[in-house]
Amino acid sequence: MSETALRPAARVVTRPSTPRKRRRRSAYARRQGRAGLAFVTPFMIIFTLIMIAPLGYAVYQSLYTTKLIGGTSFSGFANYSAVLQSGDFWGGVIRVIIFGGIQIPVMLAIAFFFATIFDLGVARWGPLFRAIYFIPFAVPIVVSSVMWGFLLDPAYGPFNHLMNAVGFHNFNWLSGNLMIPSIIIIAIWEWTGYNCIILYTALKSVPRDVIEAAILDDTPLWRIIVRIKLPMVRPAIIMLVFINTIGAMQLFIEPTILNNYQAGVVTNTWTPVIDIYSTAISNGQYQLGAAMAVVLAVIVVAISVASLGFRGRRRGQQ
Amino acid sequence: MLSRGSSPRRTNRFAVAGIAGVAAVTLLAACSSSGGSSSSGGGTASAPASSGATSASPTGTPVLAGGNCSSSAAHITFWAWVPGMNRAVNEFNSTHTDACVTLQDPGAGTGEYVPLNNALKAGTGAPDVAEVEFDLLPSYEIQKYLVDLVPYGADKYKSLFAPWAWSQVSQGNAVYAMPSDFGPMGFYYNQQTLAKYKITPPATWDEFAADAVKLHSQNPKAYLINFPANDPQWLMDMMAQAGAWPFQYTGGANLTINWAGPAQQKFAAYWQKLLDEHAVSAIADLSPQESTELDTGTLGGAIYSAWAPSYFAPNVRHSVGQWRAAALPQWTAGGKVGTDWGGSTYPVFSQSKHPAQAAEFSEWLTATDQSWSIVKTPPSSLFPTYLPTLQSSSFKALTYPISGTSQPNQVFSAGALSIPLTTWPPFMTQVLTQGATTFGAVVNGKQTLMRAFTAFQQQETAYAKSQGFNVTT
Repeated sequence: MSETALRPAARVVTRPSTPRKRRRRSAYARRQGRAGLAFVTPFMIIFTLIMIAPLGYAVYQSLYTTKLIGGTSFSGFANYSAVLQSGDFWGGVIRVIIFGGIQIPVMLAIAFFFATIFDLGVARWGPLFRAIYFIPFAVPIVVSSVMWGFLLDPAYGPFNHLMNAVGFHNFNWLSGNLMIPSIIIIAIWEWTGYNCIILYTALKSVPRDVIEAAILDDTPLWRIIVRIKLPMVRPAIIMLVFINTIGAMQLFIEPTILNNYQAGVVTNTWTPVIDIYSTAISNGQYQLGAAMAVVLAVIVVAISVASLGFRGRRRGQQ
Repeated sequence: MLSRGSSPRRTNRFAVAGIAGVAAVTLLAACSSSGGSSSSGGGTASAPASSGATSASPTGTPVLAGGNCSSSAAHITFWAWVPGMNRAVNEFNSTHTDACVTLQDPGAGTGEYVPLNNALKAGTGAPDVAEVEFDLLPSYEIQKYLVDLVPYGADKYKSLFAPWAWSQVSQGNAVYAMPSDFGPMGFYYNQQTLAKYKITPPATWDEFAADAVKLHSQNPKAYLINFPANDPQWLMDMMAQAGAWPFQYTGGANLTINWAGPAQQKFAAYWQKLLDEHAVSAIADLSPQESTELDTGTLGGAIYSAWAPSYFAPNVRHSVGQWRAAALPQWTAGGKVGTDWGGSTYPVFSQSKHPAQAAEFSEWLTATDQSWSIVKTPPSSLFPTYLPTLQSSSFKALTYPISGTSQPNQVFSAGALSIPLTTWPPFMTQVLTQGATTFGAVVNGKQTLMRAFTAFQQQETAYAKSQGFNVTT
C-alpha cells in the first residue's frame, strides 16, 4: 500500500519546478485522502443505495401520473402544480408550524429548567429523576398515543373527570379546538426528557473555572444561569430547535391514533404527512404523494438551512 | 420512519434535513397504487392465532400453518387475518395430496393490503390466495390482478351461496373470488335498557325515530343508538337498505356516482333530523367510547351486523346475557329489506404459478361443509355466505354468552337473503378515507349530512375523473 502510494510521488520528483517540501506534503495528503476514502466508501455506498437512489426515484416518479383508466403517462410538473395549489396541503403545513411554534419553546423551557436543577446538583436523587424523566422517550409513540387517548377520552378519560370536578362540564380534550393543544401536551410529555438530557450534558460541559470566577465575583445564581450558562449552551439549544422542528413537521402518529377516540376532528389532510399518506396509500395516487413528499422535504431543508444560517451568524458575532 | 421519534436521534446538520426529507420520500417510492385500509372488515379482525408452526417465511411473516410440503404437491401461499384459519388450512393439507397450503398472517386489513399491493405491483412475491374484503374486490379486478375462477369450476357453486355474496364476486361471466363470510345487519340491543324505557324493537324507521326521541327525553344522557357519521362503510350499507345506493360500477371506464339524488338526500335528511333533535349520539363507532357506552347502558343498542356478537363480546363487562338481535327497521311497513356490513372473499392472484390448485383451495375453503364446520366456530366465528351452513338449524341455534339463551343467528340468517345488490367503485379505500373526513364534519355539527353528501358527490366525481373514468350521476 505504502509503495503504491509513494510511486506517483517519485514521478513528481522529476519535475524540477515543484518544490521539495510541497511534493512531500502532496504524497502524504494523497495517502491521507485514500485512507479517508476507504473509511467513507462503505457509508457512501449504503447512503447512495438507501437514501440517494430512492430519493432520485421518488423525484422521477413524481413527474408521472398513473390513472386506473389509461395507465401511466408523463405529466411533467402537473403533480407539483397540484400540490402547490392544494389548500388542504398548505393548511396542514400551517397547522404543524403552529403546533411546533408552541410546543418547541414550551418544551425547551421546561427541559432547560430541569436540566439546570440537575446540573446545580441541588435536587436529591438527581440521576434517578433524570432516568424517570427520560422514560417517556423510551415508550414507543404509538403506545404513548394510545395511553393518552384513553386518558383524554371524551367520555371516560380521567382528565375529563378532572375538568368536570373543577366545574368545566362537557369538556372534551379531543374536540376540534383542543386537539392541537392536547397533542402539544402529549408531545411535551414524550420529548422533554430527551431534550433535558441533551441540555444537561451541554450544561455539564460548561467550564467550571468560568462558573467559579462568576461565583468569586458574587454573581447571583440566576445571572449565572441566564447570562453565562444559557449563552454557553446556545449551540445545543439551536440544535434541539432544529431537530424538534423537523420532528414537528412530520407529525403523524399522535393525530392518527387519537382519530380512533374522537370522530371527525383529524381529517385526511390534517398534517402534511397524513395528507401524503392518504394520497399515496388510500387514494392510490403515489406519484402525487411523491411530489408532496418532495415539497415537504424542500420545506424541511429550507428550515434547516435557515437554522444553520442563524447558527453561523451567531458564531460570527461572538 | 415518519414518526417524530426518528429525527431527534440524529445530530448531523444537513444530514438531518436530508434524512428527514428522504425518509418521507423513500416511503412513497415503495408505495403501491391501490387498495389500503378498510375501516370495517370481516368482523373478526384481530391478532394472529398463536398456534401453529412458527418457522420464518421469506417475507419474515410467521407461518401459521403448512410449511411442510412434499415436493410433489403444488405449493400454495395463502394470506389471511381471520384468527383460527390455521385449523382449516391444516385440515385441507391433511386431506389433499396435490396441493399444500402455507398460511401467513401479514395483519388485518391494511396490514395485509399494503404488502399485497406492493407485491402485485412489483410483479412478484404475491400470495396465490389472499383474504380480500367484498368492497375492495373491484379495486383488484380493475388492475387485472385476479384470476377468473370459472375455468376452474367456480360457477358450479353459485347456488350454494347467498345471492348478494355471489353477485359481489362475479362480474359479467367471470367469477373473481370465492365468497366466505359476511355481515347481514340488524338492530342489536340491550333488552334490559330498552325495557327500562318501555321500548320494543321498532319495525319501521318512523317508529325507530320516535323511539330514539322517546328514550332520550326520558334520560338526556342516554341514546337509543349512536350514529357513526365518520364511518362511510356503515353509512353506505344503510343507504343500500334505503334504496339509495350511491355507486354503480360493472367494470370498464363508466362509473355512476350519486350522493346528491332525491333518495340519498331523503336518507341524509332522516338522520340529520335525529342529529338535530339530539335523539342519537354522534361518536366514533367501534371505538372504546362506543363499547363502554353500549356496555353501561348509555347506548341502548346499535345497528350492527352478524359479526357483532363475536366482535363486541370481549368488551362486554356489565351487560353479559342482555343482548338481543332484531331485524332492521324497514322504510316501508311490512318490508323485509336487509343489508350487509363487511365480509371477505378469497381470490386467486394472477401471479400464481398453480392457479388450478389455488382455486381448488379457495373453493374448498368457502364451499364445503368440511371447511365451514371449522371456520364457523371460535376463534374464527365466521358468519357464512355458504347456504348449507347459513340455513342449517344448528347454525341458527347457536348461542353466545353476551346474548344469553337467545339465538341471534335466527335474525341475521333471515336478513342474509334479502340484501339489495350493490356494486363498489374500484377505489374504495379513497371513498372510505375521504368519506371519514367529509362526513366527520357532521359529527361536530359543522355541516349537515345533506350538505356533506353534496360535497362528497363533488369530491368523488373529481377523483373519479382524475382517474380517467366517465362519470354519470
